[in-house]
Amino acid sequence: MAAIPKAQNPNPPPPGPVAPVRMYGVSKSYLPGSWALRDVSLEIGRGEFVFLTGASGAGKTTLLKLLFAAERPNQGQILVLGRNIARLRGGAVPALRRRVGVVFQDFKLLGSRSVEENVAVTLDVVGTPRRTTRSRVFNILRQVGLHERRNHAPLALSGGEQQRVAIARALVGEPEVLLADEPTGNLDPELSVEIIELMMAAADRGTTVVVATHDLSLVERYGRRVLRLEDGRVVEQAPNAEAAP
Amino acid sequence: MSRGLEMAGILLRSSWQGLRGAGLTGWIAVATIATALFMLGAFALVVVNMEGLLDEFGRELQVTAYLADGLGEAEAEELASRVETIEGVESVVRVGKAEALERFRAMAGGAALLEGVEGNPLPASLGIFLEQRRRTPEGLAILQGSLDGLPGIDEVAHGQEWVDGYARLAALLRVVGYALGGVLSLATLLIVANTIRLALYARQDEVDILELVGASRLFVRTPFLVEGFVQGALGGAIAALLLALAFSLLVPELRYGLAFFLGNAAPRFFDAGELFRMGAGGAGLGLAGAALALGGRRT
Repeated sequence: MAAIPKAQNPNPPPPGPVAPVRMYGVSKSYLPGSWALRDVSLEIGRGEFVFLTGASGAGKTTLLKLLFAAERPNQGQILVLGRNIARLRGGAVPALRRRVGVVFQDFKLLGSRSVEENVAVTLDVVGTPRRTTRSRVFNILRQVGLHERRNHAPLALSGGEQQRVAIARALVGEPEVLLADEPTGNLDPELSVEIIELMMAAADRGTTVVVATHDLSLVERYGRRVLRLEDGRVVEQAPNAEAAP
Repeated sequence: MSRGLEMAGILLRSSWQGLRGAGLTGWIAVATIATALFMLGAFALVVVNMEGLLDEFGRELQVTAYLADGLGEAEAEELASRVETIEGVESVVRVGKAEALERFRAMAGGAALLEGVEGNPLPASLGIFLEQRRRTPEGLAILQGSLDGLPGIDEVAHGQEWVDGYARLAALLRVVGYALGGVLSLATLLIVANTIRLALYARQDEVDILELVGASRLFVRTPFLVEGFVQGALGGAIAALLLALAFSLLVPELRYGLAFFLGNAAPRFFDAGELFRMGAGGAGLGLAGAALALGGRRT
């Protein structure tokens, strides 16, 4: 495997309390000689909302996949909620994923189950009592404005509603980290704003949120911290707008 | 409710949702299992009837112990009782001198042979019937050894060739039955495993989502195993029903042909225990098929 050229991080993250998401010199290759990610180092703090941007093929999806242990790095260290992704074995992967919510562009909902059942699956996998599950699912569906449609089939809902169901499924387990891969990719601008604001509300409650998007208008609208990827490298870490004057 | 019971309830619910959502793919799996088990069951039906026929033949095997002349009635009775206690002996029938003479006369040409013969030259005898498992050359040798030491027995006669032929036929049927049954069972298992694997591919999204939200390997697999079990049991039950239907419709139509093979023995269907084993076998096959289908899959 080719050596990774070391790049200076243009905007190293500020030191602080232990961040839930940390990457140090991470590289990932799917094919020999070609790098999906190269020497990526970053830290994302608790309750922080970060946009991950870049053109198609820049490495956004790979970076997210590494964070929920769907892929392993070839080099470097990834620490998510204190767990070293490269060393996770057997039952440790599901245990980590119960603390990390994931949302996709294509929603990934089960067409044969109701909205309520789709959301409940996150609590079912940890053996949550049925009564508790029903109550928590109802509450989260109320937060995303779909409690009255909980018995509907997902396919009977609009694209925006389906994405809200997917977000409800990701949030119902009260994850410490929420990862979203192009969550507004299939939605019109108004619905996109609605979806981003749902995830910002989660960040306000203390969840670390990473949203991969190529929609720069959304990124500019909110002025949050931006990690820009180009050819697998982080080429820019814009400062947190909240920290900026 | 304990966490374990809660989880068991959730897994059952998830299995039910899986079965409910399986739709056409699920019914195709049930139909495939039913078809495969129908063929296996039809073969098993032929084997059990052949075994029944063989058992009928075996019942005709009789060892005759000729008694010494001058043995009194009471001594013959006691000897018969002693022979009955020998291991492997199913029953003993006493034939007195007079009865032997009568039987001989009744035989074609028997009366003519006895013309000019004074008195009754035929000895009394014991007709000895063996248990099924002892109807072998080895069983006969053991019986012979036990009879040799008994006073009052002059001579023992048995059809060695008949026994050898019977034993060879029984062994052949067993080997062919096991071999064909094994091949058919393996083929059925592979068909079931492949069908369930296709069903699994059709529901790959569901597996992906469960893994995404942190489901354990057990949580992901259990509904598919339960599904395989239920589909197998359902397939077994449908196969049993179809076999019963085919048996009741075809046997009267084929009675002359079957009589040629079975003689007077009536063809028999599976009993309740065998039908239960067929359903359980289907369930086991479905479970094994699901395990096999899941085995090669990385989760």
